[in-house]
Amino acid sequence: MGLFDNKQFEPGVVTTTVEWLFNWARKSSPWPMTFGLACCAIEMMAAGASRFDLDRFGAGVFRPSPRQSDVMIVAGTVTEKMAPRIKTLYEQMPDPKWVIAMGACAISGGPFYYDAYHVVKGVDLLVPVDVYVPGCPPTPEALIFGILTLQEQITRGKRAQPGGRPTLPEPLVAA
Amino acid sequence: MGRYFSDLFGGSASILRSMWVTLRYLFTPAITVQYPDEHRTQPLRALNRHVLTTDETTGQLKCTACEACARICPTRCIELTGTGKGKSRHPSAFTIDHNLCMYCNLCVEVCPFDAITMWTRIGELSSADRSSLVYDLQALTADRYYPSPMTPEKPSVPEKPPVPEPEKVEAATMAPSS
Repeated sequence: MGLFDNKQFEPGVVTTTVEWLFNWARKSSPWPMTFGLACCAIEMMAAGASRFDLDRFGAGVFRPSPRQSDVMIVAGTVTEKMAPRIKTLYEQMPDPKWVIAMGACAISGGPFYYDAYHVVKGVDLLVPVDVYVPGCPPTPEALIFGILTLQEQITRGKRAQPGGRPTLPEPLVAA
Repeated sequence: MGRYFSDLFGGSASILRSMWVTLRYLFTPAITVQYPDEHRTQPLRALNRHVLTTDETTGQLKCTACEACARICPTRCIELTGTGKGKSRHPSAFTIDHNLCMYCNLCVEVCPFDAITMWTRIGELSSADRSSLVYDLQALTADRYYPSPMTPEKPSVPEKPPVPEPEKVEAATMAPSS
């Protein structure tokens, strides 16, 4: 529960068990936000449709409001113009919240990493990202695998810490 | 009055007709792929993670570190260094940054030796940090034969041409050239 995240409790059997139960409940229903930015959103819709059926993992309930959602799947190119809106949407989500960066654009800018004035070079510069799903665009299987990875992280109680990207990777070739 | 009853009947019949459309789906096989347990068959030219292919006869990498792929890559996500000269030149380090790769297949098309392939069906690459999405030479080296749309079947290893016996070679060299 996000309310208790910053409070210190005496460790004990009861609290660990309750934490396990909470994590199990969070893992079983990571509701994503209805939120797509570019072509990766098409693959996200395909993952939610009946061929791949995200509902089998409890993650198919795409909520129209950030107040009701747990997972933000950033699917697509994050432009400079969209960046403050994404940050607002992330802040509007209630606290146990996770972010999946889907596709090369959301991870690092992708094809726009060099020579683009209008693209944020990775959504982890704006919000803490829990799972990176590479691909251009990732197949529905790859997104489902990312959600399974996220569920595994939720079970272990691991969450990305705010503060942006820990280490900005050096450009491989001097631009 | 007649119009009223015909509308009533027609409305009920249309509901039954539409429900029949819905009902038919009860008896068709489900189209859902039970993903983590079973995988759908992707087309042969589906692009996935890169793999550096190896030569069947020698077991070495086909790559000669000519850097054609690194130069044509639009996102410059390939970085490699090579050692050796001529035919014995092989990459000593090869990293592909899958944070940046846009799966355009240009590196495969430009490769003169078919040393890199993206027709690998390795699509599930999610990770919690960016650094584990940068694949090095060890992770990229092929562990098996990867079919391509041009060669769907594994080609049989060509038999080595019979080595000419040394006497005949000598005879051929000793023969006067016209």
